[in-house]
Amino acid sequence: MYRKQVRRRRAVLTLLIVGSFLLLTLTYGQAPSGVQQGMGAAFAPLADVADRALKPARDLVGWFDETFEARGENSRLREELAAARKQAVAGQAALNENAQLRKLVELDRSPVLAYSTFEPLTARVITRSPNVWHSAITVDVGRDDGVRVDDPVVSGDGLVGRVASVQGGSAQVTLLTDHTSGVTAQVLPGGAEGVVRPDVGDPEDLVLDFIKSARNIGAGQAVVTSGWRASEVSSLYPAHLPIGEVTEAPIVDQEASQQVHLRPYADLANLDLVQILTGGAR
Amino acid sequence: MIVTPKIFARLAAIGLLAVLLQICFFSRVTVFDVSPDGLPALVVVFGLLGGAMTGAVAGFAVGLLLDGSLVESLGGSSLVLIGIGYLAGTLRERLTLRGPLVAALLCMGLTVAAELGFALVQLTLGVDAPVSLLLVRDVVLKGIFAFFLGWPIYVVLCRLLRPALVEEPRLTRRRQPTVLGT
Repeated sequence: MYRKQVRRRRAVLTLLIVGSFLLLTLTYGQAPSGVQQGMGAAFAPLADVADRALKPARDLVGWFDETFEARGENSRLREELAAARKQAVAGQAALNENAQLRKLVELDRSPVLAYSTFEPLTARVITRSPNVWHSAITVDVGRDDGVRVDDPVVSGDGLVGRVASVQGGSAQVTLLTDHTSGVTAQVLPGGAEGVVRPDVGDPEDLVLDFIKSARNIGAGQAVVTSGWRASEVSSLYPAHLPIGEVTEAPIVDQEASQQVHLRPYADLANLDLVQILTGGAR
Repeated sequence: MIVTPKIFARLAAIGLLAVLLQICFFSRVTVFDVSPDGLPALVVVFGLLGGAMTGAVAGFAVGLLLDGSLVESLGGSSLVLIGIGYLAGTLRERLTLRGPLVAALLCMGLTVAAELGFALVQLTLGVDAPVSLLLVRDVVLKGIFAFFLGWPIYVVLCRLLRPALVEEPRLTRRRQPTVLGT
């Protein structure tokens, strides 16, 4: 009886492990299948409700976290923090949302988007991946709203990522900090070009790999999308979308290419509202 | 654990709610720049309450729900969480571990193991991007958060799954003194 039980346990465990490997083999690196799309679509309405219900709790935790971080800063920030403490949590949340929407409107009016074929579509973030390896979010707009795979996604501060998969009423966005992400970019002023890649584990650091340039690059310079076009193919992103600011530019003479570290303008860890740039030329 | 259809429905509802709570709340808040991960802790508690098989099956289901809800490659999270659930259940069966503090400590240790497992799976599958040393901070802090999440998860699940638990710890009642001559 005991042996039979042990054999059954081993069989179930083997079945589960083999099943996981099988699923991983079938789905890794592939476009989402019908089953995955169906699961995503089924979860989206539930996640939307849960997102709205849990927003006050998130804001409360966010408020405490910001308070802890502000403790280590200088006296000027302490004064600002003291003023911020007086605000009620609910009021703070409303102000934050308002500020994000204002920034999005400003980005719509900026020359980067005003003269392009892209149509900005505002979306609310409803879920986020729990581990640092998959830096992805789900938003509450989808195919029915005109969203397509590979549409660029921005926040009021700059580029956030691109749409990785899309269902009827929701879409998954791969952030700049996902290990699969890569964006062609240029440093301004100067125009040295390269590819922005993430540094897995550090959401506040991106790496710009580029062919060694004679131009000097220093901290504080802006990095924007390059938006290249060559015959029938072109970049997924429009040119001159802000990505981040150079924080470190080590000079290595022996290397054929140079690496520059930058901090993304967008706060990728705390996204509530984003804009999807729909309708771009492919 | 005696899994009747009613208990199975409860387990499924708990798993679904936990995944929703994770992707809509825990993953979207940061404490010291790290988001807590409560799902390994949940699977550990399932393993502690139900044994190795319950832990492994719960790990597979929770991982599948998580990957499915985020439209990510299926199987990666399941693979790691199966191991965590099975290990927690085996420890409980062999060492007779019991109590919220033990649960919290195991949640901490096995969450660290789970985060290392997630890293191992991703590195095995191939990561093009450079990997920062801050990943270590992420793993350690997630373990510490799991310690604080483990205790309430254990208490709540004990309450919710009480009818199914075989070895429910009982409160010891003092025996009434025998009164003679009445």
